[in-house]
Amino acid sequence: MPLTQALAEGKLTREELKTFMQRSDGPALRRLALWIMVLAGTTTLITLAWDSWLIWPAMFLHGIVLVHHFSIQHECVHYTVFRTRWLNDLVGQICGIIIMLPHRFFRYEHCDHHTYTQLTGKDPEQVPMPRSYGEYLLYLSALPYWKAKFTEVARHAAGRLSETERRFIPREEYATVIRDARVMLAIYALIFAAMALSGWWGLIWYWIIPVFLGEPVMRFIRMTEHVGRPSVAQMSENTRTNLVSAPWRFLCWNMNYHAEHHYVASVPFHALPRLHEKLRDHIHVEPRGYLGAHLDILRQIREART
Amino acid sequence: MSAKPWRDVIAVDDLERNWVTRVQLGDRLIAIYDTPSGIHASLALCNHGGADLCDGYFDGHVIECPLHQGAFDVRDGRPVAAPATRPMRIFETRVQDGMVQLRI
Repeated sequence: MPLTQALAEGKLTREELKTFMQRSDGPALRRLALWIMVLAGTTTLITLAWDSWLIWPAMFLHGIVLVHHFSIQHECVHYTVFRTRWLNDLVGQICGIIIMLPHRFFRYEHCDHHTYTQLTGKDPEQVPMPRSYGEYLLYLSALPYWKAKFTEVARHAAGRLSETERRFIPREEYATVIRDARVMLAIYALIFAAMALSGWWGLIWYWIIPVFLGEPVMRFIRMTEHVGRPSVAQMSENTRTNLVSAPWRFLCWNMNYHAEHHYVASVPFHALPRLHEKLRDHIHVEPRGYLGAHLDILRQIREART
Repeated sequence: MSAKPWRDVIAVDDLERNWVTRVQLGDRLIAIYDTPSGIHASLALCNHGGADLCDGYFDGHVIECPLHQGAFDVRDGRPVAAPATRPMRIFETRVQDGMVQLRI
């Protein structure tokens, strides 16, 4: 395990680890308050642009924030947002409904991602290295992502789990995962029924279209975490930390410090910048940020084709 | 059948306060927990993925696995968060003359 390895190699002392792992509800509640203000701001932009073409950039901007509910949900999966454990479950479930990612299923899948990070054929979340510019652009369109997600939720709601899923979901939780998918679809059906009955279809413009417009940005970011890094178990090699500006760090809940997160998944988002200072010389860091990571990926596609 | 004997494992003063301490006992790794309700002990390796619980986050009575954040209540070993689903093995514990003792 990378953490045990880091401790054994003296990259981190036990006392430092203990300090980094400390949790509290305060930082997340303050960040969430700011988060809601940002959401209110982007929602207002859509309202102000309602009768003009500017609604499209406004929805795109709002969508970028909406798809970053993935980042909160991801932290909740690790129980590192709040010290109060049930708050992580509650907020994670809400984020999952916003982006159509059932929380408990994601938790179990993500556990397996941490066990088999970037190992081809084993890591259930691995984004494959594109073999061509066409594949690269197709992934960024988010079309394959949505196809996979719609299929997955429908399959679970129908009571079916794949062989791989049966491996990483605890047997005791099969029924829970199936029920979660059904509840999620029922919530969506209720929301649409309520819109049909009221005649107010605003959520299409404030939620649904923005999520689809924003998802390519999340795909762009998710690619920077592991794509183009080698398929090896060594955590210092298989994961990329991207140094990005403060607004992006806010949106992704510091998950740009991805290698640090994989080293010690129990460290909360607010301690990751400090952990970065400790581990920066032992991990792969992309100083040019998300764009730099994509330049690296594009270079590798080009070199593989020549 | 007689009960298993008590064995000294660590001095109380050597425990990490309000945290988990790792102890090697023969070929077994034991986790000793200093909690608000006293000292508790369990096998140190998580029964889900085999990670060392002593490197995990500990809060109150809950130990969380550092690999997947599955969690157990150290008082009775009951799993409180999946992917941990089976109770962990715990040991009867007491303090005698400044030493933590386990029935093991």
